[in-house]
Amino acid sequence: MNKTKAKVAKAKTKKILNVLITYCILIVVAFIFFFPCLWLILASFSKSGSIYSFDGFFPTEYGFDAFKSLFTDTVMYNYPKWFLNTLFIAVMSCILGTIFTILTAYCMSRFRFKSRKAMMKTTLILGMFPSFMGTIAVYLMMTQFNLINQHWGLILIYSAQAPMGYMVQKGFFDTIPYSIDEAARIDGASNFTVFVKFILPMSKPILVYTALTAFTWPWSDFILPKMLLVDKDLYTVAVGLMSLGETEFARFAAGSIFIAIPIIILYFCLVKYMINGMAAGAVKE
Amino acid sequence: MANLSLKHIYKVYPNGTKAVNDFNMQISDKEFIVFVGPSGCGKSTTLRMIAGLEEITAGELKIGDMVVNGMEPKDRDIAMVFQNYALYPHMTIFENLAFGLRTRKIPDIKRDKKGNPVLDKNGKEIPIMRKYNKQELSEKVNEAAQILEITDYLKRKPKEMSGGQRQRVALGRAIVRRPKVMLLDEPLSNLDAKLRTQMRSEIVKLHKKLQTTFIYVTHDQVEAMTMGTRIVVMKDGCVKQIDTPKNLYRYPANKFVAGFIGTPQMNFFEGTLKKNGDKVYIDFNYSDAKVTVPYTMLMKTTPQYLDGTKTVYIGFRAEDLTLDEEQVAQSTTKIKVRISHSEQLGTETLVYGDINMDGDGFAETSTRVIIKSKGFKDYQPDTVCEAALNIDAIHLFDKETEESIMPRIPEYNYLDCSVKGGKITFFGNTVELPAAVKCAEGNGELLIPVSAIRFNGEITAKVIGCEDVNGQILVSLDINGSRLYALSSEILENGEISIGLDFKKLIIKIGDTENQPMPEVNSLNGTFVMQKELETVECKKKKVPYYYLLINGIKLKAPAEIYEKMFSATTGRKVYNSTYRYEWTPYDFTLSEGGIKAEVEKILDYGSEKFLKCNADGETLYVKTDKNLSGTVYLIPDVSKVSVIETERQIRIL
Repeated sequence: MNKTKAKVAKAKTKKILNVLITYCILIVVAFIFFFPCLWLILASFSKSGSIYSFDGFFPTEYGFDAFKSLFTDTVMYNYPKWFLNTLFIAVMSCILGTIFTILTAYCMSRFRFKSRKAMMKTTLILGMFPSFMGTIAVYLMMTQFNLINQHWGLILIYSAQAPMGYMVQKGFFDTIPYSIDEAARIDGASNFTVFVKFILPMSKPILVYTALTAFTWPWSDFILPKMLLVDKDLYTVAVGLMSLGETEFARFAAGSIFIAIPIIILYFCLVKYMINGMAAGAVKE
Repeated sequence: MANLSLKHIYKVYPNGTKAVNDFNMQISDKEFIVFVGPSGCGKSTTLRMIAGLEEITAGELKIGDMVVNGMEPKDRDIAMVFQNYALYPHMTIFENLAFGLRTRKIPDIKRDKKGNPVLDKNGKEIPIMRKYNKQELSEKVNEAAQILEITDYLKRKPKEMSGGQRQRVALGRAIVRRPKVMLLDEPLSNLDAKLRTQMRSEIVKLHKKLQTTFIYVTHDQVEAMTMGTRIVVMKDGCVKQIDTPKNLYRYPANKFVAGFIGTPQMNFFEGTLKKNGDKVYIDFNYSDAKVTVPYTMLMKTTPQYLDGTKTVYIGFRAEDLTLDEEQVAQSTTKIKVRISHSEQLGTETLVYGDINMDGDGFAETSTRVIIKSKGFKDYQPDTVCEAALNIDAIHLFDKETEESIMPRIPEYNYLDCSVKGGKITFFGNTVELPAAVKCAEGNGELLIPVSAIRFNGEITAKVIGCEDVNGQILVSLDINGSRLYALSSEILENGEISIGLDFKKLIIKIGDTENQPMPEVNSLNGTFVMQKELETVECKKKKVPYYYLLINGIKLKAPAEIYEKMFSATTGRKVYNSTYRYEWTPYDFTLSEGGIKAEVEKILDYGSEKFLKCNADGETLYVKTDKNLSGTVYLIPDVSKVSVIETERQIRIL
């Protein structure tokens, strides 16, 4: 009897120890991830603004001055304008990019045409190169199209590059049984009707995913706008914040925290669609 | 509500695999056709080609009177039920059923807002196409739902339903449009055994109620036997037999069908047949078993199987053997069986044994035997007992080709004959041979194809019976006490009749020599070419392409219906690089000033008809003629009557 009791007690302590170790690791990891964020938030509330006036790592005095000046002091640094610019570019690229990506993925998943395999392989290989490798070429092309210093130039690049990452969406479409397409075609649907009325309603999770990725990239991109935009009034937030003076660190921090807000809103609006099992009940697995 | 016609349908994949090989079938209205076969036999592919989901490589598919080869599935007026149901998961059951109606338009006349007809200038109603309105939609959907008893679930979504209910919805979606043809692709294979039996009878009920043509694909022979009015048995892309369930069971055309239909599988033994007088002795290989069959049962069998040298497969179904002592005592055809084990199934017991006393009765050998015995009965293993064979239910198959050697329609009549002085004597009749038939003199064998007997001529015969074999009528004739079979287009009354022979088709074997019958078709090898010609079309000079069959350097212009089929059977420019075999009957040629050059070798005079035997660049041609010609002739075949076979893939394109 005693022996079994001792065994049970031993197992219990082992379990507690396991949990403890897991939590410790998680806390350390969480701290590593959250500390820069926390530090940035604290820095944005710094009263003095300059990073040189910090007491060691943290600001000495706290206040809302940085946020206030972000929206009021718009002569030198027009943050609201940059914000609207970024929003415009990101929303347009998100809409166009999502449409292009979904259509590409649907084509690759459903249709069999001559160069399909070759195209799939090419995009896969091209996707392995970082996008900024083609920066110079893109710049030259944009000068040819006369799209330098224009938002539409950026939108064009973002939405045209988005379908390069169609693989995930194609993988999702592949899981939707082809017999649904066939049943719909026999019922009298055209290819377009099949896509709009059957495939899209069943692909909400992947639509949301595509839209989110297509939005966040232009939203936080720095290299392309830095290269293509010249006028300060046309800047996106990322480029604009970079142009802030050295003494404006608090404002920089406030600006970067503020741009996280739309993404958070977007995420909370769309997350309910990102559930599995949209196609449940369609076919017998 | 429609007939279907499938003519030389092929499905060939780019890698050369023939998924469906020369599928021919006529399906009449309101039939329930079942395609059955092991997986990978091409049954689903054929169904999908009918549905329009799969392209047809070559051949002609007609629904009603329309050729639908290139038509979209939605325009074919068919409905299909899928194995995995393929319901629309985001729609309610009502919407699932209604979708097919929403996409369709119905003819109506133009009406104003109050519903009164609008008239045109001449006071006539204006015909228009309109969509179904809400009321019509719900009426139609409810009607279909009522038939399938799913009215209570119309507001649900597919995921809230069980497998059986989902299958009902899938059926409902198909019947709501009242299509011409219903296609069902293994609809029951995802259901459990009990539900399957229930749905099976419901589908049969549905067929009776709807009165449309059903085509049903399954791999389950029980489903096929219980549901179909006719069954198509397929294997490796080829049709093995098309017949009613009863005929498939009673007259399997080959060993595959014999083994596939019926559970447990038919017992196959190997053995030899030897004819002696009016009896045929069957000697089982690897065993001492011997039985006799009356020769009357094997009248249609080719004599070469009956000389005791050729090994054949002997088939008996498990239910045609019995261990019942009373029946064994009365039977004259008995074999000794060493019992190895038995399976008790409740109403019956399957007894496994071996006709070879050293065999184990487990492995599927050519001596293993399964016997169906009624009720529960214990059989002691390793006992040797006698089993009675129901000799009337014997099936015999060739060992190499596995085709039945007891065909319902024999190919040839085999009879003894003697030839002397240009006259042939058989069955006590002497007939003059036409000049074209050249053979040695003496006693020999005469082979008359069943199709070579016509019902007018100088020989008197007695009709003793007619048999309708899938639309062909086989007439049994009696000439001086001997049996002759002939094909007829109509049922003949029993009694005296005069018959004649078509000497073109006869084969006379005297000693080692035999004459050559005239082939039914002439075949010529050639290619297909395109040539552009400058023409003025609508006041503009344009290069217009023309297509030709190229045979021995002669170009024959191909009409649209021919070249379109040639294009659809090949991909890209391959049509110009392939070789073809063009076939014409001897009646399709005309003699002309120019054309295919041929040297006349002989004039074949069959009395009523004359033919030229010509040599065209090494290929022998037979051409019907009225004149005695010699030397060089020029032949022009009738292009519209050509049969085209692509030689590389062996596909009949036309």
